[in-house]
Amino acid sequence: MPDALSYDRVSLRHDAASVDAVGPISFNLRVGERVLLMGASGVGKSTLLHAATGLFPQSIPGDRRGAISLHGCPVESRTPADWADTCGYLFQDAGQTLAGFAVRDEIAFGPENLGVAAARLPEIVAKAMRRAGVPQTWADRRINMLSGGERQCVALAALLAQAAAITLADEPAASLAPEAARRMTARLLAPGRTAIVVEHKPGPILDHVDRCIALGRDGRVMVEGAPRDVMRRHGPMLAEAGIALPLATRLHAALPDLIDPRLPLREALIGVAPKARHRLQDALLPAPIRTGEVLATLDGAACAPPFGPVVLRDVSLTLHAGEVVAILGANGAGKSTLAACLAGLLPPRAGRRTGPAGAVAFQNPEAHFSRDSVRAELECTATAPDGVAQILNRWSLDRVADQHPFTLSQGQKRRLALALLAESDRWPLLILDEPTAGLDGASEAALAQRIRALAGEGRGIAVITHDMDFALSVAERAVLLHGGTVQFDGACRALMRDPARLAAAGLLPPEAAPVLDWLETAGC
Amino acid sequence: MLRAFHPLLKLALCLAWIVASLAIFDLSFQIAVFAGATLLLALGARVPLRHLLLLMVPFALFGFGFLTTSLLFRAESGFAVQMAQEQGGAPDVAPGLVLFFRVLACGMTSAMFALTTDPGQFVRALMQHLRLPASVGFALMQAMHMVPDLRAEMLQLRMARAIRLGRPLRRVPAPGEVIALAIPLLAYAIRRASRAALSFEARGLGSHAERSYLPQARAGWADWAGLTLGLAVLAAALAIGRGPAG
Repeated sequence: MPDALSYDRVSLRHDAASVDAVGPISFNLRVGERVLLMGASGVGKSTLLHAATGLFPQSIPGDRRGAISLHGCPVESRTPADWADTCGYLFQDAGQTLAGFAVRDEIAFGPENLGVAAARLPEIVAKAMRRAGVPQTWADRRINMLSGGERQCVALAALLAQAAAITLADEPAASLAPEAARRMTARLLAPGRTAIVVEHKPGPILDHVDRCIALGRDGRVMVEGAPRDVMRRHGPMLAEAGIALPLATRLHAALPDLIDPRLPLREALIGVAPKARHRLQDALLPAPIRTGEVLATLDGAACAPPFGPVVLRDVSLTLHAGEVVAILGANGAGKSTLAACLAGLLPPRAGRRTGPAGAVAFQNPEAHFSRDSVRAELECTATAPDGVAQILNRWSLDRVADQHPFTLSQGQKRRLALALLAESDRWPLLILDEPTAGLDGASEAALAQRIRALAGEGRGIAVITHDMDFALSVAERAVLLHGGTVQFDGACRALMRDPARLAAAGLLPPEAAPVLDWLETAGC
Repeated sequence: MLRAFHPLLKLALCLAWIVASLAIFDLSFQIAVFAGATLLLALGARVPLRHLLLLMVPFALFGFGFLTTSLLFRAESGFAVQMAQEQGGAPDVAPGLVLFFRVLACGMTSAMFALTTDPGQFVRALMQHLRLPASVGFALMQAMHMVPDLRAEMLQLRMARAIRLGRPLRRVPAPGEVIALAIPLLAYAIRRASRAALSFEARGLGSHAERSYLPQARAGWADWAGLTLGLAVLAAALAIGRGPAG
């Protein structure tokens, strides 16, 4: 039987680029195999997926060398649209790629394009909704009335309805709350499915894939093999290549004498002596920072998005200088609205806010850019003569100083947006909305360091995130939003050890939960 | 009732009334069409009165020039007089007044269609029954999706600008701000349209297979009865209007 998908010495180069985006690269996807494709931002993972059905270079201008075949047929023997009966795509941002007007239309879109008999379509749609966990009552709901997470679930149902033999998914769970991400992974990577998944955070899906392929910064295959084996043997090399590692692998790298990488984390901790608790705590939790005066306060505030209805009521919060607070909640819980209220951008509809104005680093960093080069953006911020050069250097943007901000990688865009806000002393309060979205492991680690450094300089920082491990690594305090109000405001560590409370809010405990339990038992 | 009316039959009926309103230069007929459409929206579609009044504002502004010229200055614009002559308007009725109510009548009739029709079902009906190409139909739906998304994007851009300028978000953007936002919004729209086009293609739109369609509600006897009734009322109105004039 031919492989489901085969890349043979494939190199891909975008139009006007001077170097290949990826390759030369060779690997096969066997029928019934689930492969995780890893790599730092910008190494060409998405381009590789687009090339699988010829979208690259037929629809995305570029040049391909080498051969790609699907079930033994050369990819160029059919158009990308014709390959939809064989390959189904799940894109990262479903909100921008959904076709239909209502949920039912959206799910029927793929089968309609394939010419499935009209009489069978209602049954196909209903079945796909059941499998994806989409309630049947949503069938007539308009797509634009759904939250980001709900749209992603509808996109999964649409993929299942398409019934393609091969699934190609590009960070399908990146914008989902943990519980929704877990459901998505379980359905997308059920045993027997043939799939390639690109994911920056391999931890939660390692047990759902058969093989890992890691791309190096040169766009070539660096390592491939069984998931746990790859992590155990090549952890440091993967980290060097900017790939996020599962927590057990990271802890092993930091504390090789304490954590056995061959064991699941909970078992590995059994043999650790209690006297090692401080080393383990230092490796997992942020170093404490002395907090200062109160920066901003919300007192009984009712928060509403611009020109929209109130989504959060009776919110009372205080943010201190030197404090990092994680704002947590499921998709649509009102986290971004709270951010805008806390920053003073949106006045509360009821109650009051006190304190100086803060700045919000939006989820889409492009919202902050208004000039035609990175240097020009920063010139508005710098005051000293050589200030721009220093900022460029500090934020590792010197190599792209003359590029247009829109042409940067996601990690670079996020650094630039944050630099624009952090390098000015105008805002003592900074709020970062989903700062890790689209970041690879190296960029995320660097971001965590910067957040702690900014807090150390006396800024008050609030971080909105779905990534519980990231929240734990940067924030001492957590605020949990659920049911239109604040459900929890206290130590981040305590919340992460409360699975019932997290589950009620549609969240899951972090990967680090066993370590937190161990630390508690060890009296730390 | 109006919302359940088959979109294509409703379109045909609304077009018939609009064409009649454009063809007949008669004040009472225009007022009757305007009043009928407004009553149907208020009673049949339960649109609140406040919304109805707001809806009339753009149409009224359009026809306001004719109205003020006619009523306040007791004169007629050359365009209005020429229209009256070409369409056989009665000399005893101010042509500006007729044009004013014509604008309102056509506006409220089209508003009745827009406010009582599901856009997705309408586009699907066009693709299924009037052979609108699927690529055009889904592009239309994507454009309808993009309107609220563009609004959200604009809000985020405005908030980012407010942060940089160190001032709270204004309820209404200043003209300079609107101009500054035009390019980023255009860039966003282009990027988004490119992603949607790529996704459509990846999901099989434009493949060689003959496209099928999810079965939609067919026009039933109630829809045909509604169309017949609407056309009969129009014919009766025309006949009554012609009687005294003749």
